[in-house]
Amino acid sequence: MIPWQAYLDVALTLSVVLALAPVLGRYMARVYTDRPTLLDGLLGPVDRFLFRLLGVSRREEMGWKEYAANLLLLNAIALVAVFLLLVTQAGLPLNALGAPNMSWDLASHTASSFVTNTNYQHYVPEQQLSLFSALFGLQTLMYVSPATGLCVFVAFSRGFQRRDGTVGNFYVDFVRTLTRIFLPLVILGTLGFLLAGVPETLAQSVTAYSPLAGAQVIPLGPVASWNAIMLLGTNGGGYFNANLAQPLANPTAATLLLGVVLMLLIPLATPFAFGYLIRRPGEAYPLVVSAIAIFLLALGIFLYFSLNNPFLPPTISQAQGFLSGAEARFSLPESALFEVSSIYSNTGASVMAIGALTPWAQTSLLFGMFLQASPGGDGTGFGMLLIYVILAVFVGGLMVGRTPEYLGKKVGRDQVKWSAAALLSHPFLILIPVALAVVLGLGFAPGTLNPATFTSILYEFTSESANNGSGIGGIADTTVFYNVAGALVMLVGRYLPILAMLAIGGSLSREGPQPVGPGTLRTESLTFTIYLILFLIVIAGLLFLPVLVLGPLSQLG
Amino acid sequence: MPEPPHVPPGARVSVHRRPHTSAGRVLRSSLKMFDPRLEVHKPVMFVVYIFWLYTVALLLLPSVFPDVPSTGIDRVYYLGLVVILFLTLWFSHLGEAVAEAQGRAQAESLRQVRSGAQGRQVLPDGRRVWVPATTLHQGDTVELRPGEVIPLDGDVQNGALVIDESMMTGESEAVIRESGGDKTSVLGGSRVLQGVAQVRITSRPGESFLDRMIRLVEGVQREKTPNELALTILLATLTVALLVVITTLAFFVRTTGGGLVDLGTLVALLVCLMPTTIGGLLPAIGIAGVNRVGQANIVAKSGRAVEAAGDLDVLILDKTGTITIGNRLASEFIPAPGVEGKTFMQVALLCSAFDDTPEGRSIVRLATRRGATAEKLDPTKIRIIPFSPERRASGLVLPDGRELYKGAVDAVAAITGDIPRELRQAAQDASRQGMTPLAVSEDKRVVGVVLLKDVVKPGIRDRLRELRMMGIHTIMCTGDNRLTAGAIARESGVDEFIAEAKPETKLALVQRVKREGRLVAMTGDGTNDAPALAQADVGLAMNSGTSAAKEAGNMVDLDSDPTKLIEVVSIGKQLLITRGALTTFSITSDVAKYFALLPAIFVTVPFLNLLGLAVPRVAVLATLFFNALTIPLLIPLALRGVRFRPRAASELLTRNLVVYGLGGLVLAFVAIKVLYLGLEALIQEPTVHNLLLLLERYLARVP
Repeated sequence: MIPWQAYLDVALTLSVVLALAPVLGRYMARVYTDRPTLLDGLLGPVDRFLFRLLGVSRREEMGWKEYAANLLLLNAIALVAVFLLLVTQAGLPLNALGAPNMSWDLASHTASSFVTNTNYQHYVPEQQLSLFSALFGLQTLMYVSPATGLCVFVAFSRGFQRRDGTVGNFYVDFVRTLTRIFLPLVILGTLGFLLAGVPETLAQSVTAYSPLAGAQVIPLGPVASWNAIMLLGTNGGGYFNANLAQPLANPTAATLLLGVVLMLLIPLATPFAFGYLIRRPGEAYPLVVSAIAIFLLALGIFLYFSLNNPFLPPTISQAQGFLSGAEARFSLPESALFEVSSIYSNTGASVMAIGALTPWAQTSLLFGMFLQASPGGDGTGFGMLLIYVILAVFVGGLMVGRTPEYLGKKVGRDQVKWSAAALLSHPFLILIPVALAVVLGLGFAPGTLNPATFTSILYEFTSESANNGSGIGGIADTTVFYNVAGALVMLVGRYLPILAMLAIGGSLSREGPQPVGPGTLRTESLTFTIYLILFLIVIAGLLFLPVLVLGPLSQLG
Repeated sequence: MPEPPHVPPGARVSVHRRPHTSAGRVLRSSLKMFDPRLEVHKPVMFVVYIFWLYTVALLLLPSVFPDVPSTGIDRVYYLGLVVILFLTLWFSHLGEAVAEAQGRAQAESLRQVRSGAQGRQVLPDGRRVWVPATTLHQGDTVELRPGEVIPLDGDVQNGALVIDESMMTGESEAVIRESGGDKTSVLGGSRVLQGVAQVRITSRPGESFLDRMIRLVEGVQREKTPNELALTILLATLTVALLVVITTLAFFVRTTGGGLVDLGTLVALLVCLMPTTIGGLLPAIGIAGVNRVGQANIVAKSGRAVEAAGDLDVLILDKTGTITIGNRLASEFIPAPGVEGKTFMQVALLCSAFDDTPEGRSIVRLATRRGATAEKLDPTKIRIIPFSPERRASGLVLPDGRELYKGAVDAVAAITGDIPRELRQAAQDASRQGMTPLAVSEDKRVVGVVLLKDVVKPGIRDRLRELRMMGIHTIMCTGDNRLTAGAIARESGVDEFIAEAKPETKLALVQRVKREGRLVAMTGDGTNDAPALAQADVGLAMNSGTSAAKEAGNMVDLDSDPTKLIEVVSIGKQLLITRGALTTFSITSDVAKYFALLPAIFVTVPFLNLLGLAVPRVAVLATLFFNALTIPLLIPLALRGVRFRPRAASELLTRNLVVYGLGGLVLAFVAIKVLYLGLEALIQEPTVHNLLLLLERYLARVP
């Protein structure tokens, strides 16, 4: 029997997130509207120094193209710098464990993976990454990528508020995101992990002696602060290879649940921030409710089929549920909550072996990555949700007999075109590489292509295109093909939707507002919320049901 | 009793606009649309077209496709796919062809009018020569005489004409057009009944009103409207995405080596999932929208204007003619103190007996209805004192010497020297409520006051309420003073009113509303309405108006009934709703199709077979057939538009989601099951079974 306390844990954790999200959302809106915050006294000079360093004028407003160009430039510089760092790390300091230089393809994959907020790890951290690379390379990208995501969100949102064609100043948004949002939250998160006993040190290993095993070298590092930004930034790449199944990184149920809170916090605060930014706080609810409804549905499916496992012969009763792939230290509901939170927030951190889960649990996780928006990663997840909303509003708006409009802005050809591009990129980026891998027989031994292998390949590219980063194993993916194809999928899967979001924001910003009347489709209503949820499920289902049937679902029959 | 000059919407005679279509022609043009050059403009159907050709190749050239099974029974199945895909395309063509034929029928009768039109041109030296209409230019003058057909649109320069415009407008009542004033424009193609006049041509050949009408209803000028374009992008995206989904699926299936799925079945899956219902009917919906406007006897100059009508936020309505009947009518008799009510009514009746204005007639009508009877008098012995602007009253001197006056209260008081205080008070109260008091005197004594009232058109209150429910704000524009305007506004339920409006007020109003970012429509007929008509998002010009007004508006109402603006709004909304509803239907019925097709294709997922379809290939054919059938079944809906009742948006959304979303889902499940059972039974029917066996044997022998 699952102890009732485990379910209580789940409920309490989610309540904490839901209580904190509106508060953080309100604060984020303050940050992005340049209103005073508590930290100004302390961080104002830091901001000013950074602006002077970058040569940025705070007053300068950018159109979407300029905003996008600067965003891409900054990301490109970060990508190239980290790539160079990774291929030369052997000769750089802080490499006590002797990590060799990465190969060009592995370095491409790794740098792309971290700059796109994917954090898919084809490398083994303990063996292939120096502390220097971790601290100054990958950890930098773990701040750059979620901050970029939030900038995209805020520029997109401004489109609804403005009518002069501008979407904000990228550098101002970027710096304020780092200093006002990530800095304080990461400090709090790090303190939480430290209190629970997670190590934070520059020592790279400790040697332990045990009577049975003799001397053991145990890798160490600045794990607590790494964990904090890995989860808050919906990054998901672990300091250790075993990610958060490693007891040093995730020693207790308290750190597990803290992790859930950190992962969901910013993605769920974003809709509230959106509501405040556009000065219609009520508009946050249909978005939050839709995201949570689908999240809970997935959690329910995950748990139900793990507890009622169809594979177990009736003679075996497993009262604790289907524990294959689960961390023995945590209960199934807690682990499931962590796993679903991680995949649905596109973090990709893991405490379970996804390849060993039931097909339904795998299906529910894949579905979250197909959707990318319930609630999705920092900034971009909400941007994806808005794109779905725009398409839903377009069809729904026609049904009430008006040219569709959302939040007082007309939804026309431009918006539909870009939304369609963002929506379309996902199946392209998943299905075509999977087809290539399957047809060319890459990553698996000849003749071993079965539904499980197919699921592995599907999961790999889905995770990369969604910028999720969780892995399932089961295929040999550290080859040139998987590194290069993966890097491309991650980059296009990240920046094409970002361009679409900025373009929509820019095109909306050029439009004058439409006054609201009884003839306008009300998006605050329950009707619209239900419609949106069904729309999300049906559209994602329409595009991806066939591959689910070929993959996890065919393991059921 | 003559009717007030208002044409009730039901009473128009539109002989030439009734859609009649010839079956043969529709059939021919639906087959002509199989031309790939035409097909390529409809992205969704073009993909179906390509894959139809592909299945034809699978059927006829099996040697080219070594993986494809090609036994006799396989080829019978492929034949089935080819036939159903053909039907899918053809059904979609039929919808478009019917809609086009409706438009063409309208155009043909118009073209007959145009061919061979001639005009008697007045040359600068004064000579008159007969020239064909095609050589006439803008600015030329022609002379028109009774019995002649007007060659091109123009303005009457001098003289007056009685014109039969029924060929153009379907209105059988003749109209008068004369130089000066607001009623100068004549339409090319209409016939002069009486009068001689010179007309200055205002349109170039090929650009007259007639030509524009022909082009529009024929669909030559049809360009995709903004919403249609956006929807096409969305549908194309879905199609491309599904194309990728199914193409990659083909590779997966090949590689996993199951050999379970053949390419024909994958084509069926693709076509079923693609939004063929909406994609196939999209052209028909657009054409039908313009046709429906035409059937309402309105000429829209572009499809864009029809679509914009659905989006309107504000309607600017003229008071006179739109909200009120147009004339003030007697509504009450107030006798002076000490005067018998009946006596007063008799005097009033007498006073108005020779007054032929609508006001006068209405006094006679009301008095008679209330039991007053006119005295028998010899009309020849009565002296009539006509109304004059100075006196502001009219009067009669009866044979017995009595002098009766009727007129403005002050004017009559000036004639009699005095007026009872109570009456003056009643008159003032009445003006405050928007009524016009007329005093009646008999021999220097005011005997009472008749109250005239602006009469709100019957039914206008309900229509304004409907508009409010749709979220459309109505503004009444009138030259009346605030009191009168306010009273009418209250009575009719209009949202806002502008009193003491001058000609330029409308333009300022249109500009103000547009600045607020709202879409505005107005009606107008005068030349000074033209700038406002041009700026309004929807400018509905009255056919009776000047050519300047008609040129400026983007729609012309041939019945000259301004109330029809409201009808136009409904048609525009219907157009959009029809598109949205069919898109939703297309998407939700896909869910049912997945549950029918995926278990038929993949044996590994029997738990998805909710419908219990046992024979996979029959399930595929049944689903594909359902997909094809939805198109002709929905053609009437596409042409007619979904039923639109004015409601709030949220209610409309819920209703249409339930009807077309949920309804589409349930219908698809039920219909696929029924078609499956029918097809299964049909195949087992001995005759059909034998036929199929013969076919199978035949196809097995074909290379």
